[in-house]
Amino acid sequence: MKNVDEKQDALLKRAVRGDEQAFLALYQRHQSALYRYALRMTGSSWAAEEVVQEVFLLLIREPHKYQPERGELGAFLFGVARNRVMKHLEKAPREMSLDVMNADGSPRNEPEDPLTPMMITEKRERIEQVREAVLGLPTEFREAVVLCELEEMSYEEAAHACGCPIGTIRSRLHRGRALLLAKLELLRDTPRRASAGAK
Amino acid sequence: MMNCEEFELCGLDLDRRDAEPREAAAAAQHAEVCPRCRAMLESWREVKGDLRLLCEATWLHSAPPRVEMRLKQELRTRREVRVPFRRVAVATWALAAVAVLAAGLGWRQWRDGNARPGRTVVPSVSKPAASRGDAAMLLADSDTGAFTRLPGSMPSPYENQTILQVRMQRGALGRFGFPVAQDRAAEWVQVDFLIGEDGLPQAVRLHQDSQTGATLQ
Repeated sequence: MKNVDEKQDALLKRAVRGDEQAFLALYQRHQSALYRYALRMTGSSWAAEEVVQEVFLLLIREPHKYQPERGELGAFLFGVARNRVMKHLEKAPREMSLDVMNADGSPRNEPEDPLTPMMITEKRERIEQVREAVLGLPTEFREAVVLCELEEMSYEEAAHACGCPIGTIRSRLHRGRALLLAKLELLRDTPRRASAGAK
Repeated sequence: MMNCEEFELCGLDLDRRDAEPREAAAAAQHAEVCPRCRAMLESWREVKGDLRLLCEATWLHSAPPRVEMRLKQELRTRREVRVPFRRVAVATWALAAVAVLAAGLGWRQWRDGNARPGRTVVPSVSKPAASRGDAAMLLADSDTGAFTRLPGSMPSPYENQTILQVRMQRGALGRFGFPVAQDRAAEWVQVDFLIGEDGLPQAVRLHQDSQTGATLQ
């Protein structure tokens, strides 16, 4: 891990000096996770695109803001992305649901599915419902769900990413899960099997 | 054994990789005996499955290529801006270094000048036949005409004499004791004075074209 960090620091130094290949190596390494996080948090591919762009523009324009002694580059970039996402969420009401289409309007290519058309439709519906439910969560609970359940971070990693104690993340995740359960039961109009969500 | 409240807090972590094994075992044990908590766990597992589907559906999502293009453009623009800046910086430093060098040399010259007492700077005055070499040349040039010694002058060795060429009015020769025709006193003539070591004129001669109106004895 330390070697990877050192390699990234070396890449960053080269990138700051204008080495395009070094910059692209860093970009390719981090952009996908940042984009997914921003997309899952904002529900807007445009907003996610803007967030990723702003994060890397900051790295180009003000590389000194990253201080290796304070943490890894990935964590720094995530922190910047998180700030941008939060600003976006503060400014804009939740935008339209994400990912059905690409930013250019073309349908997004999803992996081939060996299911029947009916099963595919049902699966898509379920995905849409859970996506809606996640996007409907309050920001801090949504963030805990996105990091711990979708990005599959450990509590420790999520706490580090959010800059809060592990207990806070666990508590937010607990509330987020409960709300998610309740929302999905409402969306699917299924009998409530657990009362924990509404408490 | 875990109770329902504790299960609500951590029971849904049962399937997580980072769940504490002892806590997970206690939660599983509680879910087996409590139908309400078991239902909640099943419900959560279903949601978790949907979340996994969502995760898989979006796992390959990444920023569109245009973001990369924009960033590359920005990088190139900054690089282009940086290169002239570097040149300007180099030129500035070079100028500063030259200025420091010039100031240093100037100061050194000034210090050397002050360090030699008695040395004075003499402004160079251009005057004909000021040096010994020039004098020899002029004497040689004017070999054709003889000098007439001025009354009361003391002869000095030739090597210490200088010829001074002067253009003056003929009437002024009278002050050196020469007879001048009054009707031509206002004419301008070319006169060579032989200047001795003491800086006083010792002899004089008129140039060929000026001799007609004046008589040198």
